[in-house]
Amino acid sequence: MYNDTCQMARLHDSPGEAAFRSRARAWLEEHAASIGKHDIDGLKAWQRKLYEAGWLGLTWPAEYGGRGLGFREQAIYNEEAARAKAPPSINNIGLMIAGPALIAVGSDSQKQRYLKPMLTAEEIWCQGFSEPNAGSDLAALQTRAVSDGDDYVLTGQKIWTSNSLIADYIWLLARTDPDAPRHKGITAMIVDMKAPGVTVKPLTQLTGEAEFGEVFLDEVRVPKSNRVGAENDGWIVGMKTFTRERANISINLSVRLQQQFDRLLEGVRDRDVPLDAQQAREVAQAYVDSQCLNQTCERLAARLFGFESSVVKVAWAEMNQQLQEVGLSTLGPDAPLLPGTGFPREADASPIREHAGETFDKSWQFGYLRARANTIEGGTSEILRSVIAERVLGLPRG
Amino acid sequence: MDFSLSDEQILLRDSAREFLATEWPVPELRRMLDPGQADSAASGLWLKMAELGWLAILVGEDDGGLDLGMFDLVVLMDETGRRLIPGGLHASGVLAATAIGRVGTAQARQRFLPDIAEGLKKATVGVYEAGSGWSPMLLEPHSAGSGQTKRYVPDAATADVILFLSRTGGNAVELAVAHEPEITDLQSMDVTRPLFEVSCKPGMLETIGTGTVADLQAIVDHATIALSAEMAGASSQVLDLTVEYVKSRKQFGRPVGSFQAVQHRAADMLIAIEKGRSAAYYAAAVADEQPERLGEAASMAKAAANSMAVRVAEAGIQLHGGLGFTWEQDLHLYLKRAKASEFTYGDTKWHLDRIAHRLGLS
Repeated sequence: MYNDTCQMARLHDSPGEAAFRSRARAWLEEHAASIGKHDIDGLKAWQRKLYEAGWLGLTWPAEYGGRGLGFREQAIYNEEAARAKAPPSINNIGLMIAGPALIAVGSDSQKQRYLKPMLTAEEIWCQGFSEPNAGSDLAALQTRAVSDGDDYVLTGQKIWTSNSLIADYIWLLARTDPDAPRHKGITAMIVDMKAPGVTVKPLTQLTGEAEFGEVFLDEVRVPKSNRVGAENDGWIVGMKTFTRERANISINLSVRLQQQFDRLLEGVRDRDVPLDAQQAREVAQAYVDSQCLNQTCERLAARLFGFESSVVKVAWAEMNQQLQEVGLSTLGPDAPLLPGTGFPREADASPIREHAGETFDKSWQFGYLRARANTIEGGTSEILRSVIAERVLGLPRG
Repeated sequence: MDFSLSDEQILLRDSAREFLATEWPVPELRRMLDPGQADSAASGLWLKMAELGWLAILVGEDDGGLDLGMFDLVVLMDETGRRLIPGGLHASGVLAATAIGRVGTAQARQRFLPDIAEGLKKATVGVYEAGSGWSPMLLEPHSAGSGQTKRYVPDAATADVILFLSRTGGNAVELAVAHEPEITDLQSMDVTRPLFEVSCKPGMLETIGTGTVADLQAIVDHATIALSAEMAGASSQVLDLTVEYVKSRKQFGRPVGSFQAVQHRAADMLIAIEKGRSAAYYAAAVADEQPERLGEAASMAKAAANSMAVRVAEAGIQLHGGLGFTWEQDLHLYLKRAKASEFTYGDTKWHLDRIAHRLGLS
């Protein structure tokens, strides 16, 4: 009906993109079956395999082990990974937050040293921003870094630190100038988790697993060469990291959202009883909302590294909570039960576990419980709504 | 999905924004509220829109149109929605142009489309009937020569040509010109896009095309996508008006926009708008490039627009306080357009049922 010759192709891959997609699909189809257990060793091995096949660091510069490709290729890979039901990355904090931050503000020697082992999962990363008295009000952070010759001496405590129990490095913010205005005396640095004075305590979450930890820093010596960016410039570095974190989380988690929605459809099809009209509408509404969110991620892609990332983060967090609730209410009384747990309980079936494991990770029980954190982690939805109001809409500061 | 605008589309957007700001300022819009003034207020704008080629976007080149796509159209509707321009662009330039272009005979295309594209004739289309709901298979089949009554026909009183798109039995559909119709105003709450009941006596329908129920639904789906984009534009305007107001309105010695309760409601407006706009533009790209997925995309766009537009308009009124409830403030016009649009081409329930069906849930 319409003359398409003068139109841009918006939905179709370009020939190059199509070739990239079919390579990704073929590789994932061939190797997805060989993913081992979803435990730490299994997930590390899977990530290494991905790296060796060239599927990681797609947008990272080639000189540091990346592929130097664009956002579009990353989006295509994400779609294919979702389609292949690939597991989440074990080093997600490194790949999504610390790595991009180092690429943006790190020194050349830091990039040379840290980026490749991050991609291969030889070194796992965590991020130390939040403290017991500095959550939403991050600039209240109290961890002190005192200059001593070629080192900083670091003392303080970090909390809610994802992956801290398995991490080799932590990328954190500390106060280097306690007399400066609170946003101005903060410095970003890389700390070896095996350095003397670093202690990690698991923080058991309401799901029963300890994905987060508390990191205690007691006179830890950090070489000044590990400083990221200029001294007392850490707030700016941190803010850059934050918008990137929200953008990356949103883009990657929209993939998991798609997987979760597919799981919901499978569950519905396996049911003996058909859905009633109202239940079917709830599922359809969740489909509409999750598709709109994916489309919004793509439409705002160019702006996602600014404050617009907050729009997507809030929408994603609430979307995932909605999807979990729809899943439970639609799939019936068996949905919140954990598959495969019989009586007697197996010896290792303690309600507290070190790592979720595949069965638990994919269950609606875990999904529902874990989703409660979505509107808290990476910026609470309340703080982010204020960010949207003040930074995107330009309303006066509250 | 590539959402970026071409240079031509950026030009279309910017020139539309500029044109509407000067040619359709709020006092002109509000003149439509004065008794008996609605048609004359709208007719001045009509000729200028025609000059800009807005009525020719969906008309093929052979029929005197610009032969552009749905993506170009939604870029424009996003802007026209902001200014609540009267319904003619939608009824004639989108609904009628698509209907004739899709199921009209070659003769009918030659007879109507060049005039529609140039704005020399205003057309509209009646599709739905009392009690038919929005499923075309629920339209009563009409035998040739019988009389018919269509409801919710937009802009029928000012149209030069009224078309009926009807089911004639099974999957067969016909497009007909309604001669000497009887027109009754249905008193829509949105006076900028009045709705009518149109009756046509036996023997007064002149068939100008035939097609299938799938064609009928595809025609409506195109109009639905355009409407969804218009709803996104209108919602953005409500948000802009609201942001300006809460920045300047002071209570307790500070702008009310500095209060979190106000800020968070404004943030929710933006989140809903971003999602709604994405769905409309995405659906337009689907209409242009993957017509086999048109129905699903149109329904997603409308479901998203429905959960955006009324909520945003209501929030805008709330955040304007008492002023928002006055006739003088423009927000009620946006609320009325949003509420009327919610029930045009399918309410939320109907679109969700359609999506559920496509997902194999029912």
